[in-house]
Amino acid sequence: MIWHIVTRELLDHLTSLRFGLTTFILVALMVTNAVVHLRTHPERVRKYSEKVNASQTELKSRTQLYTLLQKGPGKLYKRPSSLAFIADGGDALLPDESVSGGFWRLYGLAYIWSMGVPRLNMEAIGNLRPTSMVVDWVFIVTYLLSFIPLLFTFDALSGERERGTLRLCLANSISRPALLVGKFLGSLITVLIAFYCAVLFNLAIISTESWTQLGGADWGRLVFIVLIASCYAGLFVAIGLTVSAMTRESRLSLVILLLIWVTVVVFMPSTLGTLSTKWMSPVQTHHQFQTAKDTAFDQIRSDFVNKWETLRERRQSAETPQREVAGVDPSELEIQREFVSKDMEIRERLSRQHLSVQSAQVLHARWINRCSPAAIVQYALESMAGTGFNRHLQFLEHCRLHIRLFRNFIVEMDRSDPESLHVIGVPKGMSKKPVLPEAIPIFEDKITFQDTLSPAVVDMLLLVLLLGVFLSGAFLVFLRSEV
Amino acid sequence: MMLRTLIRQELLIHLMSARFFAAVVITLLLVVANTFVLIGVHEERLADYSQKEAVNREKVASTATYSILRLKVQRPPNPLSLFSAGLETRFGSEIDIAFDSVPALSNPIVDVRPEEEQWAFGSVPSLSSPGAPLGINNPYLYLFSQIDLVFIFQVVLSLLSLLFAYDAIAGDWETGTLRLVLSHPVGRGSVLLAKYIAAMVCLLLPVLMSLLLALIQCSFARSLQFSTDDFLRIGGIVLTTIVYLSVFYLIGLLVSTITRRAATSLMLCMFLWVILVLVYPNWSRFALNSMGDMRAEKRSADRQIAQIREEADRERDRFLANSTLKGEPPIFSGSEGLSTLFSGAGYFFLGDFPRVNLELKDAADPLALHFRRYYAFAAPLQIRSAEKVGFVGQQLVARTSLRQAQVDERLMKFSPASLYTFATAAWAGTDLDSMVDYIRAAQAYRRTLINTFHEREAFASLQWFAPNQGDVDWSILPRFDFERAEIGINAKRALPELFLLLCLNIILFMATVLIFIKVEV
Repeated sequence: MIWHIVTRELLDHLTSLRFGLTTFILVALMVTNAVVHLRTHPERVRKYSEKVNASQTELKSRTQLYTLLQKGPGKLYKRPSSLAFIADGGDALLPDESVSGGFWRLYGLAYIWSMGVPRLNMEAIGNLRPTSMVVDWVFIVTYLLSFIPLLFTFDALSGERERGTLRLCLANSISRPALLVGKFLGSLITVLIAFYCAVLFNLAIISTESWTQLGGADWGRLVFIVLIASCYAGLFVAIGLTVSAMTRESRLSLVILLLIWVTVVVFMPSTLGTLSTKWMSPVQTHHQFQTAKDTAFDQIRSDFVNKWETLRERRQSAETPQREVAGVDPSELEIQREFVSKDMEIRERLSRQHLSVQSAQVLHARWINRCSPAAIVQYALESMAGTGFNRHLQFLEHCRLHIRLFRNFIVEMDRSDPESLHVIGVPKGMSKKPVLPEAIPIFEDKITFQDTLSPAVVDMLLLVLLLGVFLSGAFLVFLRSEV
Repeated sequence: MMLRTLIRQELLIHLMSARFFAAVVITLLLVVANTFVLIGVHEERLADYSQKEAVNREKVASTATYSILRLKVQRPPNPLSLFSAGLETRFGSEIDIAFDSVPALSNPIVDVRPEEEQWAFGSVPSLSSPGAPLGINNPYLYLFSQIDLVFIFQVVLSLLSLLFAYDAIAGDWETGTLRLVLSHPVGRGSVLLAKYIAAMVCLLLPVLMSLLLALIQCSFARSLQFSTDDFLRIGGIVLTTIVYLSVFYLIGLLVSTITRRAATSLMLCMFLWVILVLVYPNWSRFALNSMGDMRAEKRSADRQIAQIREEADRERDRFLANSTLKGEPPIFSGSEGLSTLFSGAGYFFLGDFPRVNLELKDAADPLALHFRRYYAFAAPLQIRSAEKVGFVGQQLVARTSLRQAQVDERLMKFSPASLYTFATAAWAGTDLDSMVDYIRAAQAYRRTLINTFHEREAFASLQWFAPNQGDVDWSILPRFDFERAEIGINAKRALPELFLLLCLNIILFMATVLIFIKVEV
């Protein structure tokens, strides 16, 4: 019986004007998205590989162990996602490279490379062009896959009630739940037919180009993305049915639905994020961060100078010259090492703290934003596509892991040289043996399927939960409503 | 007489309807919530502004010589950005004012320079462009978009006006009331007019109510003060809002007269709304990139700038060759030659032009005299070449970034929603032209600064380069006061968009009337 209703609904919808318009808009947007992606993505990939090559050649030209340590692993770049057309995720603003966190040369010593606070590309928002959103899948899904289901469902029950066909329908041996499920599936399938049609167009265009060949994992991610989008459409079908079951007039139900839509989809994701930060403790400003770094450095430097002076005095007062190894005083080296490594550690710690406070604020605001299903879908799609803020955090984590690896490599190399004094961070105390360029660890920014799926799981569960809530809401309302 | 009855009837229908009530409630809620957020943002911006001002003042006070003065000026936050944010909250506010670089809207040359060169120690900036925008401490928060009050009207009220209009004719036709109404001695035109007037009055109500609420909220926040002119500008925004909403109402009315069924009319209206308000403004910028690659242009400008620099360097070398001091350029090749003249470590930039900030042992030294002569020659030369560079840079900006922004705007103007955005930004003084105004003011300020230097003969003085030869009197610095454009200019800038909206109105109304007169009832 349910299938009977579903097919009737489907036939009704598929021949309607709204289905035609829906398909037209979705296909037009998806085709645009694909064409623009083909135009911009090769350039992005080219720039990335150019930069990576330049950075690696420079890295391999360094043969001295000390230079390697002092200059660090070079710039580490974020690999552009092959699914960037799904979700832009503000990637133009987010930093795509790691930066060094300081610069000084004093007393014949130099700073040691540490990971600094990556610069955001403020040019992305500070340019003169008018504000606009990127027409990616996130845009298409969050706005249209919520708006269109409402247009299909606003009169599903209230319209039939107005015309009296609902009473007629229920006079037959059809249970209310069956009718509701039939309506739900009918509307959802109609919307999804249009959406899948557009998706096929999009993917067909994108896979024509060899530049953007999608791998097996990418297709797996795409399946999840399409599922998330379908679930989101289902959620709005359920909302539409709930409101439609509640109202007697289809006009009223449309107005209520549109206002809900405007608030939840258009306004909440923008306002809530900013609103929630109002009650958060203010973060350290850039100026304060710099001052904190400077004071910490001054402290370390004065410690170093004090120790250095006392060492000098002690040596002058002691008549006998100290035991020296190859013309170098080990205690002197030790003090230098302490200075240099402490400076690096503190710089890195302060940068990490600064960053973690900032990201905590953003993550918090994102949680508040999740009141809106549009934001949930946005975050889920961003995570699945490997863009956006989660990806940014993952990139920083990869950088940190690589830096640890890199430093371990230097220590190992130094340890393997018997002539070295094993004082890391001071030119005189380190191995002078040239390093083989092939041995230097190379940074590769790779994300696995696991990386993309795990942050999205929460969002997917939330979405399914919301879907369940609204579906049962529709049942409850419809079962108790008078026909 | 009949017209008035019709209007009264339509008004009552609208005002009593649940859709009107719901829409008003939502508009008010959104406006109140967003005003709350926006006032907070504005306060943050103000705090940031005054903090940066204080830091800049301190920096100037601790600057010891004229030549290393790096003055920073800021654009004070515009309170009307609450209504229409435009570029105001995104575009940088702080700009460097120096005698050897000219302020510009942006610095497109940066794109074509290799990265190492950009950050190279001692490289002379060719153009100074505004830095980060005021306000947000945590730049990651830019990931969340902000909305202004105008955006609420743009989205919610345009939707409402379509909801008023979609069944205005088609609905009456379906229910048969249209035939009934027209059986009275009333012209078809007046029926349309009555519907139009009633709907516009109903739409105006939420606009005025929410604006009043927003203004009341603003009056509680002490940081926001509107002048009389600002109120007039807000009036301009209201006027534009009415014209904009009227466009959408008329679109709905036109669709409603063309279609026979309210349901069809509704679907057409909804999809038109999605396309005009939501899709097209974003799509046009995303999909149409008519500017193409501008790197070649930028590179050629970069070369031109390098040439100007080389010329200046040659002129400097000529001067040094003819000077009483021997050597190739004698003073600046390294620090050895300076040890007799200077003590103490300081700035020593070996860029295109040296910027010396060293302590002088003996002011009467003939070398010191030579330095004064050198700078009396070199500083004006630097100013001249900076102005040439500035000219090239500004032409480049006009051809690249500025033109791109203008092309984007022009493309977006095919949608009435974007016309509305740009017109209100022009009223509020947050549009592109206002940013250009700001850069002009900064340029004018730089010229006054240079004139002040000239008056004081700063270039030839010891204080130009030596920090220990008497304090520089920084009270001579002219104040930077950026005045927003006058309201007349705002109105003039909003006029083209307003005019287009009005034209749309007239065309739509004429079309509706013509079709309605011919339509069979």
